[in-house]
Amino acid sequence: MKSLVKEFTKGIIKENATFVLALGLCPTLAVSVSVVNGIGMGIAATFVLLGSSLIVSLIKDFIPSKIRIPCYIVIIATFVTIAELCLKAYSPALDRSLGIYVPLIVVNCMVLGRAEAFACKNNLISSFCDGLGMGVGFTLALILISAIREFLGSGQILGYTLFKGFEPVFVFGMPSGALLVIGLLLGFFNLLNNKKT
Amino acid sequence: MNLQELLTIFISAVFIYNVILSRFLGICSFIAISKETKPALAMSFAVMFVIVTSSAITWLVYRFLLLPFNLTYLRTISFILVIATFVQFVEMVIRKVSPQLYRAFGIYLPLITVNCAVLGVAVLNIDMFFANDKQVAGSFYYSVFQGVCVGLGYTLAMLLMSGIRERLELCNVPKAFKDFPLAFIIASILSLSFMGFSGFNF
Amino acid sequence: MRNNLIVSGSPHVHKQGSVPRIMWTVVFSLIPAGAAGVIIFGLDALWVTLVAVITAVFTEAVFGIWTKKKFTVLDGSAVITGILLAFNLPSNVPLWLPIAGSIFSIVIGKQVFGGLGQNIFNPALVGRVFLMASWPKYMVTFVKPFSFDAVTSATPLAALKEGKILEHLSYLDLFLGKRGGCIGEVCILALLIGAAILLFKGYISWHIPATYIFTTAIFVYIFGAKQLFHGDWLFHILSGGLILGAFFMATDYVATPLTAKGQIIFGVGCGLFTAIIRIWGGYPEGASYAILMMNAATPFIDRYTKSRIYGTK
Repeated sequence: MKSLVKEFTKGIIKENATFVLALGLCPTLAVSVSVVNGIGMGIAATFVLLGSSLIVSLIKDFIPSKIRIPCYIVIIATFVTIAELCLKAYSPALDRSLGIYVPLIVVNCMVLGRAEAFACKNNLISSFCDGLGMGVGFTLALILISAIREFLGSGQILGYTLFKGFEPVFVFGMPSGALLVIGLLLGFFNLLNNKKT
Repeated sequence: MNLQELLTIFISAVFIYNVILSRFLGICSFIAISKETKPALAMSFAVMFVIVTSSAITWLVYRFLLLPFNLTYLRTISFILVIATFVQFVEMVIRKVSPQLYRAFGIYLPLITVNCAVLGVAVLNIDMFFANDKQVAGSFYYSVFQGVCVGLGYTLAMLLMSGIRERLELCNVPKAFKDFPLAFIIASILSLSFMGFSGFNF
Repeated sequence: MRNNLIVSGSPHVHKQGSVPRIMWTVVFSLIPAGAAGVIIFGLDALWVTLVAVITAVFTEAVFGIWTKKKFTVLDGSAVITGILLAFNLPSNVPLWLPIAGSIFSIVIGKQVFGGLGQNIFNPALVGRVFLMASWPKYMVTFVKPFSFDAVTSATPLAALKEGKILEHLSYLDLFLGKRGGCIGEVCILALLIGAAILLFKGYISWHIPATYIFTTAIFVYIFGAKQLFHGDWLFHILSGGLILGAFFMATDYVATPLTAKGQIIFGVGCGLFTAIIRIWGGYPEGASYAILMMNAATPFIDRYTKSRIYGTK
């Protein structure tokens, strides 16, 4: 039980996909304009991650190791298609604002990385915990980044204005603002780590 | 299909909506391989080649397989399979035909399968050059041309970045900002300066 | 015993130039343009410049103390960054704008790269494009010259872009700076006086400014009007930030190529991009974007224009 909790929590802080491993940055940068987008992308990616981790760990003994990557990709692509269709059906507005970045979850290195590094070697339950932890960590990172960007770029959080008279810094709503926020956050976390050691 | 349209695609794919600096596709490879110019250039050529050929192939797959049989919902899954197979095939051919070429950029080919830029352009082509499941005029040529331009944009960003990062080796950058963080900040400034081209029209 | 013996290659003649000396000379050479800006746009221009300079110096000092580096505030480079940033702003901006711009210039444009001599991009321009992207509405409203009650007017280039005709502006007006624009860019006469000081002292070379201005003029002359070879090249040289950019920002020591050949390539590139953005781009003026893009290409230009070491192939 204890190890399961560990599998879950490591993905949130110690091996956070975004800030520590620097994986899956394309969607992080692209959709983090607003918190709603961030949460939506986080949930979609977590769903794909969970599903693919489960299936991969279930059928890991039947996959020939030579063609394992194509197999993983097919499994992942299946879940991405499910997520895509669900989004289109239940939340067309979110689907439009996430755009091509939903199908691109297929090539998100975080998802494939977990299949290759963890799910193909571990049993069902710990793969589930690992996938969930990674997904939650990814979602939290997305929320952090998109909250910073939405507040600075439009003066709002989740559509609510926080301070009156704050002049929004438009650049944070733009691509270069996304790169800047990620760069500064990575530097900031490095700084914290250096202080500790 | 006219010159103006092509120029617009060129400027927007290379500068305004640069794959890396604005659409963030292929940012992992961009950050990881841009430390030196030589591998960066080899990677760029490999990516360009794969993007151009795969935008042609995926266009054909979409137009002649998925559309007639009403299978458009299989777009993601079929595209990634086609791309993966194609890349694997190219790798095998290159390894057989020219070991020298293989050493120069063959080693990057497996990585390119999971490069978002390739799948991204394929999906983008479909989104842009098919309207209501009908191809727009000259759609195939536009798709291939957009592939070329996106590849050029990728190469441009890679070249600039690798040049800058090679020079930064000689600078005493603050420890916390070494490597990744600074690479992102440089990319951010590059993206800001490419904004000068926004609102372009002839 | 202090060691005063410095081992170095011949010739052993010391030129009276050090970093602070050069930097303060550049500051001195920028004074005429600043004075002209104050005369044309009123005291607001002075406050904006002062605020930008003080913030830049303060930020530099804070970083110097925090990173425990050699105290670099007095070398004047932060002062230049502050002045150049302010010169690229309209005079009627709220005062927090130069503060934000200066902090961004120094922190993102300079200090994260390791401080003086290590920056890839011109810090003042990094600050300016940041402000331009962040608060565009303040960056594109300008005060009418000699009307201190803040009547807004468009710059000649912006008016040109909107298709208005500028009959009331003569070339002499443009040369003396009787037009809407940023604080430091309007008075060409004052800028040329400052540039002459730097050229005479040998602190900047003619390669970049000359090729930059020349390329812009040629390109605008060919493509700048509906008909080929009918562009108003003199108008384009005299308006916008071209002269300020060519002499004071495209000549930044650190962010530009080292060899004459490289500098010529740099100048031509700047000129091309400036003209292209002016003619077809969404922004009326492209000088700052052009210089930044060429800054990014500088390491690359340097590599291919390196002078051959004697005796090697």
